[in-house]
Amino acid sequence: MTALLSIRDLTVIYRRDGSEVAALKDISLDIAVGERLAVIGESGSGKSTLALAIARLLPASARIDGSIDWFLRPPPTLGAKAPPSVLPDISPSRGEIALSSPPSPISKVAGEDPTAKLPISLLEGEMSGRTEGGLMERKAQKSTAKPDHTPLGGRDIGFVFQDPSASLDPVMTVGKQIAEVAHTHLGLNWPQAYAKAKTLIERVRLPDPDAALRAFPHQLSGGQKQRVAIAAAIAAGPKLLIADEATSALDTIVQAEIVALIRQLVAEDGMTLLFISHDIALAAALAERIAVFRHGGLVEIGAARQIVSAPRHAYTRSLLDAHLGLDAEPLSRQAGPSA
Amino acid sequence: MSPLRRFLRMPEALAGTAILAVLFAMALAAPLIFPGDPQAIAGPALLPPFQDWSLPLGTDRLGRDVLAELFHGARTSLAVGLAAAAAALAVGAIVGTLAGFAGGLVDDVLMRITDAFQTVPSFLLALAFVSAVGPSLGVVVVAIALGAWTGPARVARAEVLSIRERDFVAGARVIGMHPLEIAFREILPNALPPVLALSSVIVAAAILTEAALSFLGLGDPNRVTWGGMIAEGRAVLRTAPFLSIIPGVALVLTVLGVYLAGEGVIETTAVRRSLS
Amino acid sequence: MSSPLLSVSGLTKRYRRGGKTIAAVDNVSFHIEPGETLALAGPSGSGKSTIARLVLRLVQPDAGDIQFKGEDFLALGGATLRARRARLQMVFQDPLAAFNPRATVARVLDDPLRIHGIASRSERPRRIAALLERVGLSPDLAPRAIHEISGGQRQRVAIARAIATKPSLIVLDEAVSALDVSVRGQILRLLLDLQREERIAYLFISHDLGVVRAIAHRLVILDAGTIAESGDARTVIDAPQSAIGKALVVAAPKLDRTGP
Repeated sequence: MTALLSIRDLTVIYRRDGSEVAALKDISLDIAVGERLAVIGESGSGKSTLALAIARLLPASARIDGSIDWFLRPPPTLGAKAPPSVLPDISPSRGEIALSSPPSPISKVAGEDPTAKLPISLLEGEMSGRTEGGLMERKAQKSTAKPDHTPLGGRDIGFVFQDPSASLDPVMTVGKQIAEVAHTHLGLNWPQAYAKAKTLIERVRLPDPDAALRAFPHQLSGGQKQRVAIAAAIAAGPKLLIADEATSALDTIVQAEIVALIRQLVAEDGMTLLFISHDIALAAALAERIAVFRHGGLVEIGAARQIVSAPRHAYTRSLLDAHLGLDAEPLSRQAGPSA
Repeated sequence: MSPLRRFLRMPEALAGTAILAVLFAMALAAPLIFPGDPQAIAGPALLPPFQDWSLPLGTDRLGRDVLAELFHGARTSLAVGLAAAAAALAVGAIVGTLAGFAGGLVDDVLMRITDAFQTVPSFLLALAFVSAVGPSLGVVVVAIALGAWTGPARVARAEVLSIRERDFVAGARVIGMHPLEIAFREILPNALPPVLALSSVIVAAAILTEAALSFLGLGDPNRVTWGGMIAEGRAVLRTAPFLSIIPGVALVLTVLGVYLAGEGVIETTAVRRSLS
Repeated sequence: MSSPLLSVSGLTKRYRRGGKTIAAVDNVSFHIEPGETLALAGPSGSGKSTIARLVLRLVQPDAGDIQFKGEDFLALGGATLRARRARLQMVFQDPLAAFNPRATVARVLDDPLRIHGIASRSERPRRIAALLERVGLSPDLAPRAIHEISGGQRQRVAIARAIATKPSLIVLDEAVSALDVSVRGQILRLLLDLQREERIAYLFISHDLGVVRAIAHRLVILDAGTIAESGDARTVIDAPQSAIGKALVVAAPKLDRTGP
């Protein structure tokens, strides 16, 4: 298997009011090109921090140790707007990831960082990305330049958040939000970008694509909004699609539809999928491999089939036992209705 | 980092606090340092400052000690400013909470009353009120509060409208809590932070309004006020400008101090809120 | 058989949105017996949460009738309604949103005891400690702020508050949906224990049929504000008849633990 990215000894520490909390502790794992990897865990397990660290969306106050190495072929020639391709700010030789500033260009194209102020033009983000890139390039001459290039959020990484209402711009049409990604990262002109947005809306199977292009997020249902977020996330043809609890806020039926959609899109585009979830059954149904996280540590990782049928770790077994399927025995039958 | 330490790291907040601390010290110490009547004659008339060290800031047209007047004036300015602002905030918060929580007719009536007060310039309102009722400290406080409560009321109402829809309010109804208790114990404390954010502006405005009323001779005649001192000095502005300048500077510093300290408090609490 | 604990008939609630009138709940009828768990399941927008709020008199229905303990619940108002609320309690989905952000555990549990005159001021701390122990929490938690304790602890406090007034019926609106799976099992077992010991009935609202099957006696499946089907919970889930019932069963994540 060819690795798409390789995480070594990754530790993330959040600082809050003087105290430090380790959200991830010494995580090492590889993600292979084209695989579907699920990361499962309960609240506080660090699973979302892992997703944010890979997408370089962690807040600037977080302290990051360890390395995330990408093995990306140089990207196909893009429009003039593409930032410099050699940006080894994730440099294993330095043993740390320089997260110099809140990564504005990434957060914007990856479907908006929910904490960020929303309506900032993508063009601005792109420009700040370039200055940042230039800075990195100068730094790079000192450290060893690696052949792999640093991924750019939106172009190489698509990110789907849990709450589509927070990740979509409420005052911008759905079509424009998707087209902007294509315009920015694929160098398409606006008519081309809108045409691309329309095909994407058709691909995520929104009813009436023409009307959907002109709709604002509040006019769509939760499931439809999540489809739009997915369309924006895959608009630039990313190598890696990260879905962070992307179906948790949806009801069971819509959740199943969105999972099926993600599975299909990932297969069609040959994307690698990182599926973050608290639901082990959902993860097992979608992913080939499952990594189980707890309290910021990696409990075990293995083939989905093996994790589910023959877990090595007691914690994984307890998660499996806690699952309430449609075949599970009722918890108690003693308390019957009055007869 | 504790909120206090964060507050102390802001130079402007520190400066504001220092100014206020000096003013409060002046106000508190006035009867101790200048136990006599500040309006009594203390020396020759129109003595310039820094001439006689028993009267360091000189005397006014009637030979009254300017420094003593300044100290006693600080008492009036701070007392009236704080009391008027507190009254305005309290009335505004209560009216806004009732309007937002009750909705319907109560909301309509209360907000139309608020509109009525807001359409009349607040200074004219204060002027008319004091002219009609007669100048005294309490009347001046009420007069200033009359024009200042509408802003807090609107902010409180807007906040209450959004808090009203939250689950914990439904939860309070489910356990059978009385509507008034829900409004004032559950909702109001959570609606207060943005209302209190207005307090520095309102205190500053109240101090200025008090000074303006005193300047026009509508202050309490039995008390020294900075506005009254400026008015007093106006007659001899060409020959003894210090009589207007000294209380004027005191006024500017007070408003600045209130504003800077208030901004510091808001900034500190805002950071704490965004962290949690 | 005596009359049911709660009997709802012809319940209807319409909302106006952009000139159109949408029936969030349309002519819904069901009943709950003492000590029974009735589940309401359905996709989002099916009207389950609106029904919860109607039953609790948090919103007024446009039509229909609610009988609670043989009394016309919709005819009550003011102080009488507030007093009756002691018998009909609710647990919300998000325990953090369900409490005043400034509250402490003790205050949250003190309110119902005070409002309904269940215990005198001096007696209340002891009652609060007993309630905390009843839901498996340490009485030491009482002085803590609600936002300081964990999500599972918060939901236990929410249950303690709901049982403080010895209710006959508790509406559980997605009460375990936001919890971690390990905590979810504990909370469900706690609910079952309370039901067995105090004969509390539950109106259990959930979109998760696995949880419904584990805890409910009967099930009503809703679709677009109307009842699609109802019956014994296991029977309905094992062989759904309605289209929406089938869709819910198909969509539920399934875990096949047999080896390769």
